[in-house]
Amino acid sequence: MPAVPTSWSGSDLTSPVRRFAGSLICLERIDELKSIHEADGQIFIGSCVSHTKLMENLLIQKNFPLLIQAVKVLGSPPIRNMGTIGGNICTASPAGDTLPPLHTLGAIVEIRSIDSNRLVPLKGFIKGPGKTALQKSEIVYGVWINTNQDYNVCHYEKVGQRKALAIAIASFAALLKLSESGIIEKALFAWGSVAPVIVTSQEAEKMLIGKPLTAESLKSVVPLVEKAVSPIDDVRASAEYRRMVAGNLLFRLLQYGNHGST
Amino acid sequence: MHSEKYLLGKTIPRFDAVTKVTGRERYAADYYGDDFLWAGVKRAGIPHARLKGIDIAIAKNIPGVVAVLTHEDVKGTNRYGIIRKDEPVLADSKIHHCGDAVALVLAEDKEALRCAIESITFDYELLPGVFDPEEALKETAIKVHEDSPEGNIIRYVPVETGTPESAFNECDTVIEAVFEVSRQEHAYLETEAGWAYFDKTGQLVIVVATQTPFRDRFEIAPALGLDMEKIRLIVPYLGGAFGGKDGITLQCLLGLAALHSGGRPVKMWWGREESFLASVKRLPARMYYRLGAKNDGTLHALECRLYFDGGAYASLGGEVMTLAAEHAGSAYRIPHVSIKGWCVYTNNPIGGPFRGFGVPQVTAAMEQMVDILALKIRMDPLEIRRKNIVRQGDTNCVGVTLTHSTGAEECLRVLSEHPLWRGKDTWKKSAAPFKTRGVGIACMAHAMGYPPIVPDVANAKIELTEEGKIRVYAGVVDMGQGNASTYLQMAGEILSQDITGMELVLPDTERTLPSGSSSASRTTYTYGNALIKAANTLKMRIFEKILPLIQGSDVNEFILAPDRVIHPPTGKEVSLKEASRFFSESERVCTDTFIMPVVEGMNDVIYMGPHLIYSYGAHLVYVEIDRLTGEAEVKDYLAVTDAGRVINPQVFEQQIQGAIAQGLGYALYEDYMVDEGVHLTPDLATYIIPTSMDIPEMTSIPVETFEESGPFGMKGAGEIAMSGPLPAVANAIYDACGIRIPRSPFTAEKILKALCKLSAIIFAFFISKG
Repeated sequence: MPAVPTSWSGSDLTSPVRRFAGSLICLERIDELKSIHEADGQIFIGSCVSHTKLMENLLIQKNFPLLIQAVKVLGSPPIRNMGTIGGNICTASPAGDTLPPLHTLGAIVEIRSIDSNRLVPLKGFIKGPGKTALQKSEIVYGVWINTNQDYNVCHYEKVGQRKALAIAIASFAALLKLSESGIIEKALFAWGSVAPVIVTSQEAEKMLIGKPLTAESLKSVVPLVEKAVSPIDDVRASAEYRRMVAGNLLFRLLQYGNHGST
Repeated sequence: MHSEKYLLGKTIPRFDAVTKVTGRERYAADYYGDDFLWAGVKRAGIPHARLKGIDIAIAKNIPGVVAVLTHEDVKGTNRYGIIRKDEPVLADSKIHHCGDAVALVLAEDKEALRCAIESITFDYELLPGVFDPEEALKETAIKVHEDSPEGNIIRYVPVETGTPESAFNECDTVIEAVFEVSRQEHAYLETEAGWAYFDKTGQLVIVVATQTPFRDRFEIAPALGLDMEKIRLIVPYLGGAFGGKDGITLQCLLGLAALHSGGRPVKMWWGREESFLASVKRLPARMYYRLGAKNDGTLHALECRLYFDGGAYASLGGEVMTLAAEHAGSAYRIPHVSIKGWCVYTNNPIGGPFRGFGVPQVTAAMEQMVDILALKIRMDPLEIRRKNIVRQGDTNCVGVTLTHSTGAEECLRVLSEHPLWRGKDTWKKSAAPFKTRGVGIACMAHAMGYPPIVPDVANAKIELTEEGKIRVYAGVVDMGQGNASTYLQMAGEILSQDITGMELVLPDTERTLPSGSSSASRTTYTYGNALIKAANTLKMRIFEKILPLIQGSDVNEFILAPDRVIHPPTGKEVSLKEASRFFSESERVCTDTFIMPVVEGMNDVIYMGPHLIYSYGAHLVYVEIDRLTGEAEVKDYLAVTDAGRVINPQVFEQQIQGAIAQGLGYALYEDYMVDEGVHLTPDLATYIIPTSMDIPEMTSIPVETFEESGPFGMKGAGEIAMSGPLPAVANAIYDACGIRIPRSPFTAEKILKALCKLSAIIFAFFISKG
């Protein structure tokens, strides 16, 4: 098993890390790591599935449109052709585009080594920027996501410095279950790029349950979101802006307000 | 003499299209050969320091390293610069900015080169720096160049017309504002590259991506202690330049490397990060504007102070700021004007030429001023522009009477009748939730050519080859804009040849003739005029040679056709190949010269004198603001341009579209950030340029005035459209949501914060009203 770094596609090595000197093991030719299949009410996405393949896959389109929305705005066509979901997870960047949707969908990471096999929820897998629960000699085999997701609204949005080839300044994934009369019955949120790891807020989610999907309802949880995030200043944006946007993006959900009643 | 329209005004495929899209065209970076060496540079990485010693001992002993050079190895003056010789080939006494070259390494391969560069260290005493142009002007400011006679001032330019002092008292309305524009990086696809060697005759040959092959020799020779006559520059097509290769980039370093390579060819090719670190940038500027008008909207007085950050070396920063001063009043009649401009040294990246050459900065300010004024006197932004726009015969804001083609008003008329202008209110009303829409316009003018004290000359050379082909020797670089192809189109028009059957020699100081720089919107105009003269001479010479052969009576009876000469009275035809046999070697070549007309007798108005001929434009933009994120999305764009007659509609449109895209980048994204001289956006991951996804549909309409002095009536089209996008977007943002952001680019963050501030003010207002 690898005593040297493993790589899912190497797409990150083509950018500023051009100087990388050392050995790499590429996993991209292992067929089972490129598989997407359904088993026991779960869908398995192999770690070497490229973003393009993910977008094109009918199972994913049918079950997890939220993930499709996120991958569509990831990088650019060449990056989506080369980059993989395993790479996006293991890079463990707070800006990783697949991470907020995978969080809300409750993805489980399957880790394998030559003599072991373990499952870790994504939330526990990512420890910090660039840090994961992966041990030496382990690889991410893939992720498992339950198909019985109980929601009828999904939304992903990335705020970047431009429309393509953009690193998220802030991103937001949401799953809502709205009743026929427009009452929020279930809510799951995740924010990217506003803290060292993906941010969730059970407080905010709970507070919205039973309320109508209105600006007033959303406004009431903005302080909770602003409290949950811990953004940084960098060359892309200030912490202040990231905090403002994290709260503001909630209001985009209003466009789905008539969902249950039509 | 010439009446038929053979190739003129037609979209014909560019001569370079096939070789470029198939990857066969050889750029400066594509030169490799046997036994060559890589050359690379150790950069300072610190903004201001006294250099005390350079330790190259380790580097020299690295296997594969052939030579490690410092300033001590430079035999010439070790200084270059177009106006001021203030830039060292290799830093000696001081380091003036982070991109300074400290040592030059020659190595067998890139890995040895990298190791050697990393191993070089230097002793230095860090000096406090100066990083703001206004700070740099203070008497107590740190001096960037201690030997500079005017301290940190690279150039101070005052312009005054009328009686500005008293004129402001005659105004009904006076408005004031301050604008800041960012430092913009060219980000050409092709980073700096070159190949150099000494040929058998002892001549230094440099194949390099430069806009200025002939002028570069004047800089390389004294800096390295070489004879100018023994330097030959060969310039392939450039993969973009936009002004960033106007002058020396790596030519001196390459020459120095070739002097120490033991006779082997040397190759240098900067990576993206080195290109960003070392290359010139568009000068950031802070501009204080005061504009006065009568109640009916007539502009009456303008006062401005322009502070341009020239960075560590003069480059053409002073000249950039001077062109800015000349254009500070945009395309309007303003009788009373006081403009003062300073270009100053700082320890920031070097400021230099960039498409627009100072004009985008001042147009950004002036065109916003016009909108602010229009709002204040409750006038339509289009109407106030139409009222004040310059017409032929008018005097512009620096007192020059515009005697040549002046289509600015026509640009505005076309804009006013366009569906995008007429339908703007409907479009604005149909915004989605949390979106707000605005429409902005801007006018612009751009002077063509060099100022009067620098004669704008081109020398064309055209040949009938032994094979009967027409060969054009282009002395001006084609940096991607397609001028070389246009030369063939012009010569082909006169000589009735298809451009695919013609031949082209790209700039080579040994084979082509000096024709000035590829810059200043003058490339096609000046060379094209010289070429037309040379091509007509060649045409008559062909007829004269054929006349006895055909036993014709009059040269005017002949006509040319692809590959042949026809004599309609007799129906006889002679192929050009056959015709060429009647030419001696020297007769086959025709040369001619053209000098651009200038304003006479007004050189005291402004440093170097004012310009005579201008291109004009009027732009319109649709912008949609997202109130939740602050993002400004450009939804539609219209550019109406007077660049005279259009020779090739597609090549023209490419220039306009390219400038709009670069201008939208300047308006919304591009900000080469530096903190105390340290680069914060050192690569394309952090320095944001627009992608194809960020650029809207662009409509380009040429109004096609006929410029009498131009080749087939054309004027320069390369820069004019660069100045419109920023102010048009700024005006659209104001139109959408009532905010004006003093410092561009207008990022989502700045817009959202301004929106929050505005809503807080409105909220406070309603609270106070109870």
